[in-house]
Amino acid sequence: MPRWGMVIDLDRCTGCAACELACKSENNITTVSPEQAAMGRSMSWMKIMAEVEGDFPDNKLAFYPRPCMHCDNPPCIKVCPVRATYIDDEGIVGQIYSRCIGCRYCANACPYTVKYFNWYDPEWSESERQHLNPDVSVRPKGVIEKCSFCHHRLQKAREDARAEGRKLREEDYQPACAEVCPTGAIVFGDLDDPTHRVSVLKDEPRAMRLMEDLGTAPKVYYLRPRA
Amino acid sequence: MSPTRRQFVWTMGAAGMAVALQEVPDVLWTADDVIDPGWAPGLEERIVSTCLVCPARCGIVGRVVDGKLIRILGNPLHPMSRGGLCPRGVAGVQLLYHPERIAGPLVREGERGSGQWREASLEEAIGLVTERLSALRSEDRSEALALLSGHCPGSMDDLWRSFLEAFGSANHVDDGYEDGLDAIMTLMHGVPRRPSYDLERSDLVLSFGVPLFESWWSPLQAFVAFADPEGERRPRARFIQVDTRFSKTAARCQEFVGIHPETYGVLALGIAYVLLRDELFDSRFVAQHVRGFENFTDERGRPREGYRSLVTRNYRTEDVSQITGVPVEKITALARTFAGSPQAVALCGSAVTQAPNGLLAAMAIHSLNVLMGRINRPGGVLFRNDVPLSPMPETVLDDTARGGIGRGSLAGPAPPFGDGNSALRFARAVAESDAPGIDALFLYYSDPLASSSHPEVWAEALAKIPFVVSFSPFLDESTQYADVIIPDLLPYERWQDAPTPDTYPYPIWGLTRPLVEPFAGGAHTGDAVLALAAALGGGISESLPYESFEALLKARAQGLFAARRGAAFGDAFQREHHRQMEERGWWLPDFRNVDQLWDELVSRGGWMDLFYDHDDPAYIARTPDGRVDLMPAALLRAVGGEGRRPYIDLVTRDAVPTDDFPLRLIPHRVSTLSSGTLGLQRWMAEQPGILPATQWEPWIQVHPETAHELGFGERDLVWVVSARGRYRARVSEFHGTAPDNVCVPYGLRHPDGELANPLQILDGWSDPLTGLPSWTTTFVRLERA
Amino acid sequence: MREETRRKLAALSQDEQVLLRPLVDTSRGYYVTATLLAVVAVWGLFAYYVQVRYGLGRTGLNRPGYWGIYIICFVFFIGISHAGTLISAILRVSKAEWRRSITRSAELITVLVIGFGAIQPIVDLGRPDRVLNVIFHAQLASPLLWDVISIGAYFTACTIYLYVPLLPDLALIRDVGLKAPRLYRFVAAGYRDTPSQRAILERVIGVLSILVIPIAVSVHTIIGWIFAMTLRPMWHSTIFGPYFVMGAIYSGIAAILVAMFMLRRSFGLQEYFKEIHFDYLGRMLLLFSLLWFYFTFAEYLTAFYGAEPAEMRTFWAKVSGPFAIPFWAMVSGCFFIPVALMARRSTRTPRGTLVAGIAVMIGMWLERFNIVVPTSVNPRWELETIGSYMPSWVELSIMAGAFAGFVLLYMVATKFIPVVSIWEIKEGREQSVRVVAERVAGYLPAEEKATTP
Ligand SMILES: Nc1nc2c(c(=O)[nH]1)N[C@H]1C(S)=C(S)[C@@H](COP(=O)(O)OP(=O)(O)OC[C@H]3O[C@@H](n4cnc5c(=O)[nH]c(N)nc54)[C@H](O)[C@@H]3O)O[C@H]1N2
Ligand SMILES: Nc1nc2c(c(=O)[nH]1)N[C@H]1C(S)=C(S)[C@@H](COP(=O)(O)OP(=O)(O)OC[C@H]3O[C@@H](n4cnc5c(=O)[nH]c(N)nc54)[C@H](O)[C@@H]3O)O[C@H]1N2
Ligand code: SF4
Ligand code: SF4
Ligand code: SF4
Ligand code: SF4
Ligand code: SF4
Ligand SMILES: [Mo]
Repeated sequence: MPRWGMVIDLDRCTGCAACELACKSENNITTVSPEQAAMGRSMSWMKIMAEVEGDFPDNKLAFYPRPCMHCDNPPCIKVCPVRATYIDDEGIVGQIYSRCIGCRYCANACPYTVKYFNWYDPEWSESERQHLNPDVSVRPKGVIEKCSFCHHRLQKAREDARAEGRKLREEDYQPACAEVCPTGAIVFGDLDDPTHRVSVLKDEPRAMRLMEDLGTAPKVYYLRPRA
Repeated sequence: MSPTRRQFVWTMGAAGMAVALQEVPDVLWTADDVIDPGWAPGLEERIVSTCLVCPARCGIVGRVVDGKLIRILGNPLHPMSRGGLCPRGVAGVQLLYHPERIAGPLVREGERGSGQWREASLEEAIGLVTERLSALRSEDRSEALALLSGHCPGSMDDLWRSFLEAFGSANHVDDGYEDGLDAIMTLMHGVPRRPSYDLERSDLVLSFGVPLFESWWSPLQAFVAFADPEGERRPRARFIQVDTRFSKTAARCQEFVGIHPETYGVLALGIAYVLLRDELFDSRFVAQHVRGFENFTDERGRPREGYRSLVTRNYRTEDVSQITGVPVEKITALARTFAGSPQAVALCGSAVTQAPNGLLAAMAIHSLNVLMGRINRPGGVLFRNDVPLSPMPETVLDDTARGGIGRGSLAGPAPPFGDGNSALRFARAVAESDAPGIDALFLYYSDPLASSSHPEVWAEALAKIPFVVSFSPFLDESTQYADVIIPDLLPYERWQDAPTPDTYPYPIWGLTRPLVEPFAGGAHTGDAVLALAAALGGGISESLPYESFEALLKARAQGLFAARRGAAFGDAFQREHHRQMEERGWWLPDFRNVDQLWDELVSRGGWMDLFYDHDDPAYIARTPDGRVDLMPAALLRAVGGEGRRPYIDLVTRDAVPTDDFPLRLIPHRVSTLSSGTLGLQRWMAEQPGILPATQWEPWIQVHPETAHELGFGERDLVWVVSARGRYRARVSEFHGTAPDNVCVPYGLRHPDGELANPLQILDGWSDPLTGLPSWTTTFVRLERA
Repeated sequence: MREETRRKLAALSQDEQVLLRPLVDTSRGYYVTATLLAVVAVWGLFAYYVQVRYGLGRTGLNRPGYWGIYIICFVFFIGISHAGTLISAILRVSKAEWRRSITRSAELITVLVIGFGAIQPIVDLGRPDRVLNVIFHAQLASPLLWDVISIGAYFTACTIYLYVPLLPDLALIRDVGLKAPRLYRFVAAGYRDTPSQRAILERVIGVLSILVIPIAVSVHTIIGWIFAMTLRPMWHSTIFGPYFVMGAIYSGIAAILVAMFMLRRSFGLQEYFKEIHFDYLGRMLLLFSLLWFYFTFAEYLTAFYGAEPAEMRTFWAKVSGPFAIPFWAMVSGCFFIPVALMARRSTRTPRGTLVAGIAVMIGMWLERFNIVVPTSVNPRWELETIGSYMPSWVELSIMAGAFAGFVLLYMVATKFIPVVSIWEIKEGREQSVRVVAERVAGYLPAEEKATTP
């Protein structure tokens, strides 16, 4: 059974945000109005965060691209009263939009603040409707959404592999963010498969996970920037 | 009388029910059907093309479902971008389906700029333009047609050139990305083109203010060189960013060196001083290939001080440190690292050249590459070949055309080196002249009313031009002022070629092709020009004998077949294979004829030639004696004793803060900006900066202490006021901004469309040697808005 | 009042007359107040309609400020609900004789407010239309589900616990034929107050009053756990269970005090809600204000001493940051004011306890604010931006509507139920003195025998 995970090399990431945009484009993430954005209601399953230190000219900075950590021990799923967020056999933490009652408990329980709530129905302008991805359902108002590790791509890749009568290869299933990253900072694959790059990278000395002490066991690893 | 209890209860109950029942059916819980309920998985295609959003020209793959462009992905076969994209490339889908696209050709109805238009057919619009142009030619005033064209390298540019030439006008005005480096290469190397940087093989990249990861010619080239995504090199290259602000580039380079504005050249010579003092430079290369290093006698037989003496005398590290604010140890360390990295390269760009002494400062920086012999070496400065396309057909000049061209261009004399800011010079000439000068103006990829640093001059100029034609697909500021609009197709709907910029060391010819059915109302400007040429007849149509722009491209691709070099794009293995073959002088094509070549190019995205001949001395210098000239005679002649002596006058002494305007303006481009003047796509507008995490609104970065001293806090709306003008933005406190600077992004608009263009408050200085406007010498104050 | 009713009343004993009069005699002021409250409640309904129609976006909630007014009110109302049942049960179990006149009004608060509390999380839902998923797709590991269960149990228990001791009084009203004969015949459920029925009644009350205590404790413990089970700074704390129970009882006592003062005023019940009742409850309030301080101090000291950066961000946000005003207002309302007033005999008057009670109610509302909002807007990850939260008119209207609805319902209930248990007063008059005397005697060593060798 694969255990999907991600390794993000902070030493390579330039904070360009291509991953953020690719995720929005792939996953039909709605853009809220400037007023709503000012209230803190914009959505970005992948979000570039900056850790800034020092004063000019002795500044230091690292960009942290932040998807859902797909924790192996996810505090978010335990609290959901209706099992609308769950972890599947392969470690992907998913959302069931049609069941979620919108209590936002999981959002509060997630220590990484990766969950987004649909405060209103998404408003797709005529032009945005043109480029909606038919593989990904759009979310109605009142439910929680978050990074899905582009789960729909896994389903498609599986079907394709089955149709061709072969096993799923590392490159068959890559999420949109990893695929687009111009610096190759995002690496995705099966953490337990020694032939996948992530399984090696996750054991590098530079590897760490966010708030490891919480015991959430994230499956997103970061490689610390080199000094 | 008090109501009875019964009445009371009933009244309240009824009121409650009324509210509860009203419009209950309207309370819909499902999102409205954004995807048609009858939708079934449709025909899905992946079509290879090239991104035209910025000069880099990365490879893309369009994912098209049922004729709609759903996603833009990277093309892993593209040798420069290798499957990666920047956010602007990804957001191209929002450019294609941009709500402000013009539906079809428009002809002005009311007053100019009143927004009253009449829809017209393409034939009618082209007919109208033909009529005006024919009239000009029959009056023998063909030079009264002018073209203002933004950045469009490749065959589109060639087409325009042929068209204007055959028509008979020299008023072809460029309004694109100028960094003046071509002028420097002409002076020092005798090569009139921008340098290429072999970043992918550099082990140290010393960047003097070049925002490599944010804008520049090719962020993707920089990303790939920086991060080595395919893991080919170990260890990775070291990037050092010298900058006046802690930019996103500076943030992720391994080292950031903060410096006082406008002192890049001085720092470079400080480094040169150490290289000379400690004998770290490549004396063999200098002896063999360089001129002007030692003292010499000039053309007129006068003794002149050479580079070595000038630098050793004037740039002791203590003095350099004083001027630049960079500590002495740092200067020494930079010099040692630079000398100690065999494949190091120093580069600079418009941050250096767009200053009153920009040309001289950039020469000083480039002298480091010369001193270390990093010319024509792996990882260094290269001069790349052109893509061996078939040339455009010889233009047929009739008498009218010859006459028109003979009368020259209106913009008047160019600066001594380069052709900086020609668009503004042109606009001034039009605005100031009383005689009828320009009767018809074409706007292609250019929106001067929004983008020019002097929109008022452009407004005046446009008022004097009776006939303005815009080819813009969007109703931008200048297009609103046009008489006829023939909206171009967007890059995702049209054929175009896309050569990578000069900074990339190998000739790459990307192909852009329609991913979706072209927009019904639009017309490929290339096709429109060909149609115009055909309608005008005579020499013009003879010069451009193509039925479509696609046919033109295909015809030019024959040159690639004939060149017996290069290959269609391929994966890492194919690239390496092709390179090694060419190194051994082999060429094994995958195609037997031009048609097959074309099919290969279309299906893989383009043509590449990854072999670079490091042994050819013509790639070091093409000066008369084949040496790189540190003291170009042309320059010495032009500057005389004007206070612009090379390696001496590198800092503008007059650009100083005053009590009225105490802060220096540092304009910079944001990495999410696709076009200078178009509103950002929604995805990007949501987070244009990343750093800072501002949303939707233009910001300015101020050091927190400066902000507090001035009484401003985070997100305060302020006016940025210079002696020339002001604009509005929100304060963002940032420790990466030097306390006496304000860093301002350019190219942003407020959500209501109001421009926040710092370029319009520039002080108006320029470098007299290149004509480039100075973006580095404006001082401002902040006022509460 | 109709002549006939008047006659019927006049035939009753003094206690019965006074306590049943409000059921049939309604003042003009009552109608005015009720109308005002109804208007506010309907306005609240309208606000909710707007929220349902357009989405939770009409609130001031955001990311990361996911929870706000509704969750605060949820905790607050359920806290108030501990007024009645728990306090009355404790008093009953401990055989505190002074309880007799106050249990009824307190239990009534519980039953009525619990509904208003329970709907708050539903109001807070993005998809109230799917609320039944809580049953269809129940996920038992979720503290929210524990809450659904425990609140359901509590509500049931409280209703029974209110209803059973109400039977003799309902039977009395039925027998007197004071009003709505069919209604009272139905609700009195054939109770005739025979000695055997009375014995069963007393036994049931005895069992219920023991049973209801753990349920009540569980309810607020679990509400505390909703927060404590997350890994959020200043939520993830074992003290939250007991802290919430204590806080609930505290706000409950304050609510009883305020209610008693109002009832005494409006229905002229000075003889039943005596100074001594206010004095005793005031003492309890004092005890709980000290307890409150103890718990709060323990909780903040633990966070402060541990000085974990994430905890400290929230800590300082409360103590001296953007939430300093609600924080210190809370400390004043929950500690300084009640202690200052309740520690002295001279201010432990009805008026003094009213002021203290109101201060505690506001303080406890703010306490819930200070628990819910600062943690919510201060994400654990330091790179995440710190949010802010400002409730919108919709939220404030719904809150006002809920408060108005609760008071209105309470007012309406006083028209159907005597606010003081008539039979318990009677029982007290008939038996208490003797029983207490015997009990006290039982506490003491036997006087005579001790001396005889
Ligand atoms: N993202 C993106 N990239 C683009 C384009 C685009 O639209 N979007 N367009 C292309 C075009 S047309 C152009 S012209 C280029 C522009 O690309 P560049 O010229 O490479 O980029 P700018 O950000 O304009 O360069 C200004 C830089 O100079 C720095 N600077 C350093 N020293 C000084 C100083 O002393 N004074 C001042 N004032 N600034 C200093 C600023 O910090 C800033 O980073 O980008 C090209 N690439
Ligand atoms: N406000 C503002 N002013 C600026 C800048 C800025 O960033 N913001 N940047 C400065 C710099 S560095 C430069 S180089 C200049 C650039 O300024 P301009 O040369 O004016 O270039 P842009 O504004 O990038 O693009 C001009 C217009 O091209 C049109 N266009 C977009 N796509 C297409 C297409 O596919 N076909 C055709 N035919 N037209 C298209 C759009 O309507 C756009 O408004 O502006 C300078 N001034
Ligand atoms: S695309 Fe890659 S480099 Fe760019 S922000 Fe994302 S992870 Fe970083
Ligand atoms: S990161 Fe948050 S949302 Fe994702 S699995 Fe972990 S706890 Fe759940
Ligand atoms: S918001 Fe939805 S997914 Fe999250 S806990 Fe509530 S019901 Fe579950
Ligand atoms: S894995 Fe997919 S859903 Fe998650 S951040 Fe990346 S692109 Fe978005
Ligand atoms: S760098 Fe330029 S060409 Fe490449 S994807 Fe970005 S916008 Fe397109
Ligand atoms: Mo530019």
